[in-house]
Amino acid sequence: MELRRYITGRLMQITLIFFVILTVLFLLFRLAPGDPVTRMVDPDMTQEDSDRLIAELGLDQPLGVQYVIYVKNFFMGRFGYSFHYGEPVVDIIWSRLPNTVLLFTTSIILSALVGIFLGKIASWHKGKKLDSFMTLGALVTHTLFLPWLALLLIWVFAYKLGWFPITGMISEEVWLDPESGFVAKALDVMYHMVLPLSTLFLIHFGAYLLIMRSSMLETLKEDYILTARAKGLEEKTIRNHHAAPNAALPVVTSIGLSLAFSINGGALTETVFTWPGIGRELVSAVSQNDYPLAQASFLLIAIVVLLSNLVVDVLYAYLDPRIRY
Amino acid sequence: MTNAEQKMRVKAPARFPWFESFLEGWSIFKQNLLGKIGLSLLVMFALMAICSYIPPLINPMYNPMTGVDPDILGCTGPSWKHWLGTDFMGRDILSQLLAGARVAFMVGVSAAVMSVALGTAVGMTAGYMGKFADTVLMRLADMIMVMPTLLVVLLLAAVFGQLNIWTIVLIIALFRWPGVSRIIRGQTLTLKQRPFVEAAKVAGASHMRIIFRHIMPNVLPLAFLFMTFRVTSAIITEAALAFLGFGDPGTVSWGMMLQWVWKTGNMFQAPYWLLPPGICISLITLSFYMLGRAMDEVLDPRLRKEDQTD
Amino acid sequence: MPLLNVKNLTVGYNTKHGSLKAVDGVNFTLEEGESLGFVGESGCGKTTMGMALMGLLPPNGSVREGQIIFEDKDLLEMSPEQIRRVRWRKIAMIFQAAMNALNPVQRVGGQVAEAMLVHDDSLGEEEAMVKVEELFDLVGIPRDRMIDYPHQYSGGMKQRAVIAMALACQPKLIIADEPTTALDVIVQDQILEEMKQLQKEFNLSIIFISHDISIVADMCHDIGVMYAGQLVEYGPREAVFESPVHPYTKALLSSFPTLTGEKTDLVPIPGETPNLVTPPAGCRFCDRCTQPGTTCKTEPPEWVAISGEHKALCCRC
Repeated sequence: MELRRYITGRLMQITLIFFVILTVLFLLFRLAPGDPVTRMVDPDMTQEDSDRLIAELGLDQPLGVQYVIYVKNFFMGRFGYSFHYGEPVVDIIWSRLPNTVLLFTTSIILSALVGIFLGKIASWHKGKKLDSFMTLGALVTHTLFLPWLALLLIWVFAYKLGWFPITGMISEEVWLDPESGFVAKALDVMYHMVLPLSTLFLIHFGAYLLIMRSSMLETLKEDYILTARAKGLEEKTIRNHHAAPNAALPVVTSIGLSLAFSINGGALTETVFTWPGIGRELVSAVSQNDYPLAQASFLLIAIVVLLSNLVVDVLYAYLDPRIRY
Repeated sequence: MTNAEQKMRVKAPARFPWFESFLEGWSIFKQNLLGKIGLSLLVMFALMAICSYIPPLINPMYNPMTGVDPDILGCTGPSWKHWLGTDFMGRDILSQLLAGARVAFMVGVSAAVMSVALGTAVGMTAGYMGKFADTVLMRLADMIMVMPTLLVVLLLAAVFGQLNIWTIVLIIALFRWPGVSRIIRGQTLTLKQRPFVEAAKVAGASHMRIIFRHIMPNVLPLAFLFMTFRVTSAIITEAALAFLGFGDPGTVSWGMMLQWVWKTGNMFQAPYWLLPPGICISLITLSFYMLGRAMDEVLDPRLRKEDQTD
Repeated sequence: MPLLNVKNLTVGYNTKHGSLKAVDGVNFTLEEGESLGFVGESGCGKTTMGMALMGLLPPNGSVREGQIIFEDKDLLEMSPEQIRRVRWRKIAMIFQAAMNALNPVQRVGGQVAEAMLVHDDSLGEEEAMVKVEELFDLVGIPRDRMIDYPHQYSGGMKQRAVIAMALACQPKLIIADEPTTALDVIVQDQILEEMKQLQKEFNLSIIFISHDISIVADMCHDIGVMYAGQLVEYGPREAVFESPVHPYTKALLSSFPTLTGEKTDLVPIPGETPNLVTPPAGCRFCDRCTQPGTTCKTEPPEWVAISGEHKALCCRC
């Protein structure tokens, strides 16, 4: 099956890229000016722990050996200890991962679906007021500065109106209460997610709307649309069943291309809303010089980006039979 | 000259084909409303940038970085002395805003020029050389394109300590060239097949000469277009970095202003401080985008409104 | 009663350069079971005419004058809803460049079935697929290719699929616009033979549009030659092909190589087609005509009957 081969091929590509990143990171942290040991080992550690860690990470060995140990450690999940938290890094980033994935995935899916839907409608009413309104709206929201939009939303909806919490992902009362069931906890998370999600959504849906709109206009000029019309199909059927599935393809491609951009936005959003995700962890780790945590967070984010790319590619292959067969 | 030789005298395009197309493009551009709005906004920002030198000359207390009003020591609202109020250290917000415009242009344009220059060079080389060079360069481009620039710069900040503004600009440029190079490569590939390149090769022109004299002039308009998009992403990246606290502490940028208002806990009380920088960043992005769209229409004849008969 | 009776059809387009008449005062009739071919160079209006018959003109085009009387009803007087029901059920079309006539993300079998399902509410999906199988047999596509996507088909197969689709609702009339242009000659020949077979089997009427007069002469009972939006010669195929009268037809025939007969030089027709926004007052072919008369440039030509059904729009004939 072509699809399986395609996925395998892409998987290999990603693995290769990941190894390059891993290696570059290794070189960066070991070869940059300054003593690499201080970057790996918490200066506040006891001599004993410090020595043990140095041995574990192989910091006293030649570079080649260090690299091998490094890769081995990576696959065994040994990223060292966080200077700031004093805990194994792997535990920290592992606990943050679901939060980021939740926010990230939801925001992309929501903005893509809404963007496609509205873009389709905008193309139907091309040239009329609705279209101009949507296009302008998309343009304006897309160019807003994300952190600033986040601050504005907090100011208006959390501070002034008090509808939503200002920061965080959970309310302690709900989560600490032994009585609250899964639904209560889930609702609590969703409640906290509204503002960060809205921020990401507002920034991203505009691009998809604009692409879908122009894609629809292009698609409607295609020969097979003329065929559909000649067959006696209704305009609505033609747009929804024949034009839209074809027009949506470039949008999917653009989702893939803008993943890096989306991740940047995700990290900024997490930071402003104090959403406990990996992006925020990376930012705070860097500002606190917590090198092991920063490095591991970055690697995990890289994995998330690469895997998302793969998912988008597979989705595209699924939607476009020309790739599959 | 024999008949055969005469037939081979394929006419190469004019020395500066892009100049003629520039004039033609300008007339099309003038008809585009979005483009005109975008351009006017940019002119406004440019004026702001130029005017940024004025306030400190009037009175040292207006210096965006070091100016302190002896009478005011904290955050105040708009007044006659300070049209946009003062920040938490008593510095004039308007001067900061103007200085921010200057920084935005500086960062945006330099990063854009650098990344486009790099991307064009790589793209032309990859397209022209083909085979191994092409594969290697494009693979490299793919890998870099996957990386989230902001986070990479963050990581580098962790390793190298506080970054100065030009280092930031350089890193942004280093991560932004892949997009440009792909398009330029495509264009180069098409141009490579054209008769005038064949003719030049037959006439014995060296590769360098062909690239610079024949391919580059035809590729430049496209490169220019991409510059507009690169500018916005550079400005936003710098602003985001500054916002997170990793910008150059010696430079006042809009992102930096937002960082201050956020970190000093004034965001709820001082809209005159919170709103202007954010509006500026968003607006400058919008105007470059509008400009880019208008230029898109200029460069891609299929998009021109006048050709649409429906 | 002829199946199709087109009277004084005039179709215009609004372009940025002005308004032009792509089809100007065309008259013809078509009986059931017969085929009529329209020949002419690109831009002569033959495709526009085909589109107008189906009501598929682009937004900037419209029928300015005339009547299209199909089965005793004027199609131009119908509401969009009525036209939609006539389309495909009564008149089907095989498009120019069938390469892109099929939706790339849908299976071919489904697209053919769709044509049937739209027009017949009582038909179920499974029944429709059975009929598609029969149609595929008819046009020579293996049944197991029904679930494939268009890009998996070769050019010839795509064309056959498009023909199968056109036949799906058993229409009375098929308009074939350059159906074989994109194919190589061998496949072209096969397809044309199959079309002739199908025509006989189903008693179809076909309007065949092409720039290739030899194909048209092979396929059709009657031939209409078009130039600059006007019909300039019309008649049974033998008459037009063997003894052309209009200078344009003559020029058209001599610009094609023949396998038999003397070896003659190919003579291209010098000059360009006239500007249709501001058409010339007299004969439109005058500037390129090899035997212009004195009044040709200023006076519009009249129809001259040659023999039987054969007629030409020329002052000098």
